[in-house]
Amino acid sequence: MTTPPNVPIEPRKGDVHTYDIPSTILDSAGDVHVGLQRDAVRPPSEDEILRVENLSVEFPTEDGVVHAVRGVSYSLREREVLGIVGESGSGKSVSSMAVMGLLPKSARIKGQILFRGDDMLKMSPRKQRSLRGRKIAMVFQDPMTALNPVHTIGDQLAEAVLAHELMPRKNALARAKEMLDLVGIPQAEARLRSYPHEFSGGMRQRAMIAMAVINNPDVIIADEPTTALDVTVQAQILEKLLEVKDAVNAAIVLITHDLGVIAGMAHRVLVMYAGRPVEIGDTDPVFEEPRMPYTAGLLGSIPSLETSGGRLRPIKGTPPSLINLPTGCPFSPRCPLADEVCRTAEPELAETDSGGHFAACHHWDRLAAVEDPTVFFRTESETKA
Amino acid sequence: MIVFIARRLVISFFVLLAATFIIFVLTAFAGDPLEDLRQDNSPQKLTKIAERSERMQLDVPVVLRYLGWLGRIVRGDLGVNRDGQAIAPILSDALSATLQLVLAATVLAITVGIVIGIISALRQYSGFDYTVTFAAFICFSLPLFWVAVMLKQYVAIEFNNWLKDPVIPPVVIGALALLGGLVFGALTVGDRRRRLVAFAVGLVVSGTLFTVLSVTRWFADPGLGTPLILAFGLATAVGFTALTAGLQYRGPLYATLAAAVIGAVCSQVLGPVLADPTWLEIGGLLLLTIAVCLGLGYALGGLQRRQAMTAATLTGVFTGAMVFLDRMLQAFSAYSASVRHRPVSTIGARTPNYQGDFWQTGLDSAGHLLLPTMALILISLATYTRFSRASMLEVMNQDYVRTARAKGLPERTVVLKHAFRNGLIPVTTMMAFDLAGVIGGAVVTENVFGWRGMGFMFTKGLQEVDPGPVMAFFLVTGTTVVVFNMIADILYAYLDPRIRLS
Amino acid sequence: MTLSADAQAPDSGAEQGMTIVARTQAQMVRRRFFRHRAALAGMIVFGLVLVLAFTSVGFAGIPGWWDQSYITTGALVNQGKPTLSLAPFTIGEHPFGQDDIGVDYFAKTMRGAQQSLIVAFLVGIVATVVGAVVGAVAGYYRGRVEAVLMRVTDVMITIPVLVIAAVLGRRFGDAGVVPLGIVLGLTIWPTMARLLRGEFLSLREKEFVEAARAIGTPARRIIFRHILPNTIGVIVVSATLATANAVLLESALSFLGLGVQAPDTSLGQLIQEYRTAFSTRPWLFWWPGIFIIAIALSINFIGDGLRDAFDPRQTRVRA
Ligand SMILES: Nc1ncnc2c1ncn2[C@@H]1O[C@H](COP(=O)(O)OP(=O)(O)OP(=O)(O)O)[C@@H](O)[C@H]1O
Ligand code: SF4
Ligand SMILES: [Mg+2]
Repeated sequence: MTTPPNVPIEPRKGDVHTYDIPSTILDSAGDVHVGLQRDAVRPPSEDEILRVENLSVEFPTEDGVVHAVRGVSYSLREREVLGIVGESGSGKSVSSMAVMGLLPKSARIKGQILFRGDDMLKMSPRKQRSLRGRKIAMVFQDPMTALNPVHTIGDQLAEAVLAHELMPRKNALARAKEMLDLVGIPQAEARLRSYPHEFSGGMRQRAMIAMAVINNPDVIIADEPTTALDVTVQAQILEKLLEVKDAVNAAIVLITHDLGVIAGMAHRVLVMYAGRPVEIGDTDPVFEEPRMPYTAGLLGSIPSLETSGGRLRPIKGTPPSLINLPTGCPFSPRCPLADEVCRTAEPELAETDSGGHFAACHHWDRLAAVEDPTVFFRTESETKA
Repeated sequence: MIVFIARRLVISFFVLLAATFIIFVLTAFAGDPLEDLRQDNSPQKLTKIAERSERMQLDVPVVLRYLGWLGRIVRGDLGVNRDGQAIAPILSDALSATLQLVLAATVLAITVGIVIGIISALRQYSGFDYTVTFAAFICFSLPLFWVAVMLKQYVAIEFNNWLKDPVIPPVVIGALALLGGLVFGALTVGDRRRRLVAFAVGLVVSGTLFTVLSVTRWFADPGLGTPLILAFGLATAVGFTALTAGLQYRGPLYATLAAAVIGAVCSQVLGPVLADPTWLEIGGLLLLTIAVCLGLGYALGGLQRRQAMTAATLTGVFTGAMVFLDRMLQAFSAYSASVRHRPVSTIGARTPNYQGDFWQTGLDSAGHLLLPTMALILISLATYTRFSRASMLEVMNQDYVRTARAKGLPERTVVLKHAFRNGLIPVTTMMAFDLAGVIGGAVVTENVFGWRGMGFMFTKGLQEVDPGPVMAFFLVTGTTVVVFNMIADILYAYLDPRIRLS
Repeated sequence: MTLSADAQAPDSGAEQGMTIVARTQAQMVRRRFFRHRAALAGMIVFGLVLVLAFTSVGFAGIPGWWDQSYITTGALVNQGKPTLSLAPFTIGEHPFGQDDIGVDYFAKTMRGAQQSLIVAFLVGIVATVVGAVVGAVAGYYRGRVEAVLMRVTDVMITIPVLVIAAVLGRRFGDAGVVPLGIVLGLTIWPTMARLLRGEFLSLREKEFVEAARAIGTPARRIIFRHILPNTIGVIVVSATLATANAVLLESALSFLGLGVQAPDTSLGQLIQEYRTAFSTRPWLFWWPGIFIIAIALSINFIGDGLRDAFDPRQTRVRA
């Protein structure tokens, strides 16, 4: 399998979405939320900092080997935002944990994870640790449990600095305060002495972001950073994430279930299904002209303003077991386009459109042939109407 | 926090009060206090019965008797037993021995149990883990009295016999070496080759060690000597530094090494003070050690001052403990001779009328405490091991441990700072429960080893259906449990800011 | 993190889905239990001991297959030494030997095991029932009921189990094993009550309980029909562990002379009776000890297997 080449993204100011814009990124007036516009941030450069090459992860368990990730490849340029979407269990977290080197010892990892050309999987543990938290940082899903309840916020921030650089504690705490200011926590000085339980969920996630950027990382992996939060603070947190990213000049791998967020924030998007990358490309082409029925199904399942009554059309069925994978395309049991070919041969990721749009589907041309690709997922009554 | 403690105190007081009532009433109804007299055939039978009934107020309803007892207790009067002896002096004799036993067993079980539990958790599914788990199950299933009798029969008698001519037979050396190898191997993680290397190292090291001990007849006149103290001290210095600050920076390492060297030098210099000290002097020396080590850590620690101070203090205290042990061991041969070469005792809490210096009386207590503590510790040890292992496993899977790793912290910081502290929190709730179990165990242990301690007082009082001694026993043990509960609560609050700050 | 059965259960209708999940859950429990080798071994050993103890010397008037009695004395054979030998395997006339007055020790040990087992079962049942009810009521009703019940539990916990058990044992020890078992059960329920209260506290907030409350289901029905079945794992496991502890408690009491009294017998009572004979007739000490350990160990392993089976995360710990 080849990695999609990097194609520069032209900033397209004031671009009008021709496709259903998911309502989550629209404010009450129906305008696109300004803070979430990727075009507002500095454009990515040409230099590649992280390249994941044919990554696969397996977990031997009592019930059999779990094939959590199978052949994921992507690359990330400086300052770029890469979105990863996919159903629960599709391997989004596992693949990013592999990049962080945080998988349990039982995990069997294959492939390459190149950080500025060095393979992290071949590094000494010490070298790996020196990148972790310094060059590549992570923001986790649940800020309620991701902070240690028995140490102060200041202590937990300062130790992130001290882990990589020997300096007086005072200086580390000063840096921590700076970061709390940056992420917009008021009275940062006093807040350093607070414990996590004295913070609200949104504040904790801000603290997590502060912790992630405190060492000026090149890459921030944000694994569903807003899922656990109140809807009202979700947008603020994402906005802050983008702002902070610009402040430290980092690239972001953003994992989320919220396609609206991806549409607004990500330069490129990677769609995963059952541990495999099934579609990757620049965000707008992928969302406007999906070349894989699963992506189309996902897009069709979002409530949007244009579909009548905001009707939800979930994709029927569940993802396959990762232990006994079916032969052929893993999506075939649920795919409205599936035929005999799909059930026997697993489609390779192949370039469908120029400009780095790749998809893994035997019948992507059938999607290309229709105006609205979500049509295949409509229920009968809808189609009649 | 203070309100919290005060509230607990009030509740505990009433809980204890209710418990005394239950015990009093149940004891009073536990049988016939006149049973022995009824079978008496002497002519004074009736007068004896009348006398005892009068003393025990058998014609008064139980509740009133309880209130009478309570009234006396409030005035600090423990009353008399059914034969008319005052209970207070009996209690004060029994108290120290039993509390020594209970506290020694508890403290040892907590420290050793937690350490084993944590190692077992960090090495989950290793040979060590499986062995510990299996051993814990055995301990849970052993009847305490049975173990105690076995220890008394085999360990004490055989070991004392062996000490007369302490040569370790080659077979035993072989077995011990094998055991050492297995422990090393089981503690190592990694592929088969690494484990085999560890096994070989363990085999050789322990084989050599026991051969040397046997050939030099070390057990006949044991001791460490300054060179060995220095060697152990330096080893612990490196160990504690590696655990707290890591070895890549010099400052903390210098501080701990200095602490070890000073400790070893002191074992020589302090000769006159250590010849026959008092506990007060030992305590003073301990404080001095801590002060010096904190100073060393502060002065030499550089940017890692905090870690250096901790590590230096731990090293200093450990080296001090080695010096203490060395002195104790040096007194061994004289002590052993003075008790007809039977240093491991099987009866009583101390040798009657024993005269000796600080170290010899210390050895005397230790010799008497050894077997009962070993028997008593088994269940608690297993409990703490299992509990802290489970707690640690749970904590190691928490998100914040993953966060700590994601920051790039070294594994020792992840484990000691983030996991250990949280893992201890549930263990504190275990402490009060376990203490009650240990007290129950002490009753059984004292019975086997013929101690005239509190357990004896309790069983005797109960057999005689005499509430006085039973209540005296319960007052002490119940209060101990309640106090321990408080300590556990305070510790809990100290460890967990969510409790402390609310 | 392991894959659980319900995560993969097909997303069918709610009614149907429920039954499928329930069945797979029970199957999973069984499968996990039988995969636990120590638990399986414990089960076999415990079964053997049970059969041996109750059929050999007879029980409740039904005669057993062992031809010697645990009461009548006989001539001392070979100074009463055990005749059991493993190689070559022979049982001999007195496999476990004889006591100092010539009573067959196998018969005596079996009788003791019988009595000890009865006490243990009774303790397990009584403690489980009382503890479960107290814990359930306290956890469900909260408020004053909970406060009172928990204070009562606190009082019980302040008194070391052995102490209160000894006091009760002094009174009921010579009344026979049934009363003794019942009163001992009344001493060790607080552990169970605490555990179950915790479970109830969390379960009562769950949606299905809220739903039941909302449609006006009476409290008693919610407790016993809706919540209790969900705590079955905790109950079964701690009942098992309580039984194992009861074996040890009974033997310790009898050893102190505060449990089963002669002429009745139990494993602990046997050890107490022959404790001074240790140097001359060690087997009188060994056999009952071995049986106590075998019973307690096998029950503990069964308990561990059950815990694994009900809670594969292995996070729950014994208190
Ligand atoms: N340690 C592990 N052992 C066994 N299986 C695992 C382990 N960690 C993850 N898995 C499995 O790998 C698969 C992928 O999990 P992953 O967490 O990456 O999903 P995800 O895409 O992040 O889903 P979500 O959106 O719910 O976060 C899941 O089926 C999960 O059960
Ligand atoms: S390969 Fe076939 S089954 Fe798979 S997504 Fe394409 S059309 Fe559907
Ligand atoms: Mg995830």
